[in-house]
Amino acid sequence: MPSQNGASFTRRGFFGVAGGVSVAAILAACSPSGAGGGGGGGSSKPLKFWNMPWGGTKFNPTDKKITLAYKPKSGLPAATYQEIQWANFTQTFSSAIASNTGPAVSSGGGTQAFQFAAQGKIAYADHLIKSWESNGLKDDFLDGLLDTMKTDKGYAAVPYNLDVRVAWYNKALMQQAGADVPTTWDEYKAVCAKLKKIGVYGFGLGSGAGSFTGSHIMTAFMINNGGGLFNKKQEPDAVTDENIEAIEFILELVKNGYSDPAAATYTSDNVQAQWKAKRFGYGWDGAGLPAGAVGDVASDLVVADPLTSPSGKKGGLYFPNNIMMYTNTPSQEGSEAFVTYYYKNMKELWTENTGIGLPPLKSIADTDEFKSNANNVKILNDWNPIFKTWAAPGGNGLFANIANTVDGTQPMLNFTQAILGGKTDAKSALTTLQSGIEGLMK
Amino acid sequence: MSTETITRGIGRARRGVGNGGAGRPVQFKPSNSNRMPGHRSRSTTLLLFALPSLILLVLLNVYPVGYAGVQSARNGDLLSAGDFVGGQNYLTVLQQPVFWHAALFTLIFTLVGVFGSWAIGLALALLLRTRIPANGLFRVLLLLPWVVPIVVSATAWNWLVATPQSPLPVIANFFGLGNPLFLADPTLAQILVCVYKVWISFPFMMMMMTSALASVDTNVYEASKVDGAGPWQTFRLITLPMISRTTYISWILMTIFCVNDFPTIFLLTGGGPVQSTQTLVVMAYVTVFQNYQTGPGVAIAFLMTLVLVIISVVLYRQIRKVNIE
Amino acid sequence: MTTPDVSLTGRLEVGVNTRARKPMVPGARGKWGRFIGIIVITGIVLIPIVAVVVLSLTPSLGSSATGFTTENYAKAFTETGVLTWLTNSLTVTLATVVVAVVVAAPAGYVLSRGRNRFVSGYSLVLFIVQSLPVVTAVIPLFILFAQFGLVDNLFGVTIVYVGSTLSVATWMMAAYFDSIPITLEEAAWMDGTSVLGSFTRIVLRNSLPGILSTAIFCFLLAWNDYLIASVFLKSDTVKTLPVGLQSFFQQNQANWGLVMTVAVVMMIPPVLIFALLNRYFSVGGIGGSLAGR
Repeated sequence: MPSQNGASFTRRGFFGVAGGVSVAAILAACSPSGAGGGGGGGSSKPLKFWNMPWGGTKFNPTDKKITLAYKPKSGLPAATYQEIQWANFTQTFSSAIASNTGPAVSSGGGTQAFQFAAQGKIAYADHLIKSWESNGLKDDFLDGLLDTMKTDKGYAAVPYNLDVRVAWYNKALMQQAGADVPTTWDEYKAVCAKLKKIGVYGFGLGSGAGSFTGSHIMTAFMINNGGGLFNKKQEPDAVTDENIEAIEFILELVKNGYSDPAAATYTSDNVQAQWKAKRFGYGWDGAGLPAGAVGDVASDLVVADPLTSPSGKKGGLYFPNNIMMYTNTPSQEGSEAFVTYYYKNMKELWTENTGIGLPPLKSIADTDEFKSNANNVKILNDWNPIFKTWAAPGGNGLFANIANTVDGTQPMLNFTQAILGGKTDAKSALTTLQSGIEGLMK
Repeated sequence: MSTETITRGIGRARRGVGNGGAGRPVQFKPSNSNRMPGHRSRSTTLLLFALPSLILLVLLNVYPVGYAGVQSARNGDLLSAGDFVGGQNYLTVLQQPVFWHAALFTLIFTLVGVFGSWAIGLALALLLRTRIPANGLFRVLLLLPWVVPIVVSATAWNWLVATPQSPLPVIANFFGLGNPLFLADPTLAQILVCVYKVWISFPFMMMMMTSALASVDTNVYEASKVDGAGPWQTFRLITLPMISRTTYISWILMTIFCVNDFPTIFLLTGGGPVQSTQTLVVMAYVTVFQNYQTGPGVAIAFLMTLVLVIISVVLYRQIRKVNIE
Repeated sequence: MTTPDVSLTGRLEVGVNTRARKPMVPGARGKWGRFIGIIVITGIVLIPIVAVVVLSLTPSLGSSATGFTTENYAKAFTETGVLTWLTNSLTVTLATVVVAVVVAAPAGYVLSRGRNRFVSGYSLVLFIVQSLPVVTAVIPLFILFAQFGLVDNLFGVTIVYVGSTLSVATWMMAAYFDSIPITLEEAAWMDGTSVLGSFTRIVLRNSLPGILSTAIFCFLLAWNDYLIASVFLKSDTVKTLPVGLQSFFQQNQANWGLVMTVAVVMMIPPVLIFALLNRYFSVGGIGGSLAGR
């Protein structure tokens, strides 16, 4: 393995050809700091844990503290902590894994584990989850959550935090418009009309640069109506009656002027600015909306009730973010021991209000600190039971094709921006979407 | 004696422009090689001179280009190689209407980016070489758009235009122009990213043109004044030809910078709405990293590079012509 | 043709003249009109940048401060790694600049003085290399560098930056060398000086503007790069400013006060350098290097 020796050799060689003796001083200052990578076994090698910035500024320091407090049993590796930024994270993970310098355990994109599993890079969590039967951890997961991680070959990952899409309203604006919180699509349309009268949008969301929320909401409405994007065979099936009805409903909202005409290009910051400016009275976003840059409006934001669609169904879209283990680990036993430790000790991430999404464990949801946030409690009580994943309506377990066909892909963005532009009809937009997704299937 | 004077002196010497010269740039031709010390030792020295850069170029480019070339002929993804499919990816890409749309917008974006920033940069360079109080300060301030990190300036531009309450739409509304949706309307979004690109790029052009103008002999102007030429004629017949070489070079460099410019568009519009502001490099990025279609994505990048090299070589020959004249 | 004098030191003594330093093309009458014009233009151009500065001075959410405040700056310097990032950025950037110039200068000399098929081929290769998009090269480069332990440290990104500035840097150096008459070197060769000797003692000594403008071009490229740094640099101790800036972007929100503050910090070194070296920075000289190949 050309690890450290190789590096120093290359460095010397480089100096030689550059012939820059005078630059030696500057270059010496940026010589490799510690283990840069390279393979090689040995159980003394630490276990790399990579985590994303899931919350606010407090999240990663707290998370790092928990990780470094891990005391492995003798013979098992200790854990190191690395925060990975969201920007370019696909390149970061792909390049690291392709060069065998990747983590042993990580979080990441919600569908990343399924993609990497299809490429043989993931260590399935079946043994780990089986071992959690005896210590009660397995039963502690919210109902149905573990199933979303199940593939034909086993559990690709372990649920970690829930990113949800729910309806929000500004209670002051709703009161001003004389509107009650809607519970059906028809009531919702009426609320939008009332909000419009006071110059406020009722279908508040965004689908601009770097924001995929709009496409999530489109899918959520399909699921709400009993539809969705994939059938039981995990094949794309977008042009269904349920979906057409749902998209026609959204198009009606758009054409009636209930949606901000610039919404198609709103980034998440623009969306927050619209809530802050009291231009959005009702809209669709993640659980963390009040924690964003919405100013004084934060205290007026309330999670709405799930809507019942004309088909009599309820439903919504959520993303069970997860922690995955890789086959490239100094010790699989070590990976599992660490993940077990982490799940037993990660409670602080929620009780300390670090801003991470909703917890996967009932015991954390039961803490007083978590319960002090009425909006979060409402999401877990009223919305969580009706949430489905991208795989709906065919199933709930995620799979690899979701990552490359619908999760932030071009056809989904085009579809959403076209709908929010209002200059299309439901059937042709869904047909275009269907062929776009089919073209990306593997 | 100031360095500036030296440069100008050299510039004149190089071009062989005498007092009241015709202003036709004449390339200084290095003398015949046999006047150099020992032919062999000279070749060895020059080879040694070129060696470090050659090694670095090979080291840093052969592997990535080869790797990408292999990717473009396979149907794999970021981690697995996949099967060999030959030119299939190229055919697939070329048959997509979206590709041609992106190619067309790349052309528009590049033309506006190159000539827009050149015109503004040249105008400012001309303005700043006249006597203006504190023109050194302006010269530095006007460079700022080039210096600010793009992730930050994209945010600032977004803040200026994105929502109906943003400053620009409010101003437009005030002047009775309705409520323009600068990012949501496909045409306006295209105009906006082009304007943004010009905003980022004109300082570079301003620098290029400032230094080119610095080496234009002012006696030429005196002579033209005597001949009774107006300012426009002076500019067209004297200034432009004298800075033509730098102009061509700056066009080539800016063409490369525009065609390869990924962050400007990606951060401001993400290529939307509905791909209307997508250039080829953005399309390549989205195809590889969002749709995970590595083969077609890299094929787009290669096709783009091919066209770029052709354009560059054409412009490059143009420069040679200018010199031979 | 003007023949430059060669002093004993080999320094050029040409172009000494008594003309006004700045050519006055349209005359000085409209001086104040042009002054107002340039103020208006600069004002419009700088609006987005003023917005950045204002946002960096605006109190963040939940702060008790009103009006303008420096609390974002205090927070950035005490609670974030901005000093580490600044040090890393300066280290990488300066190293890139030094190595790029040291490598590009002799290569540029070859382009300028050598006239054969190899040289024109080399010149075209530099050209094509510059045209390749970085986005497709990041992953293979990482895989390559990982094999030598050159990832997650500043040394690796420095090499990549040197590589990506090399083409343009070489042209820029060649352009300046073109402007130095070969007669100077020929005189030195007659005296028995080697090519290396005449290169360092005559050519380089007279190329300060060229070296500086090349250096500044490389500086800006390395200073502002985000794509390569974000993939190559992961540990907190090696992050550069553009990567550090990204750490204020959380999953669904961003701390704009800190983002803008670090952006302002990022602007300061290049602006200072520009202000100091403005008069030497003339990319324009590049015209000669590609010409006449």
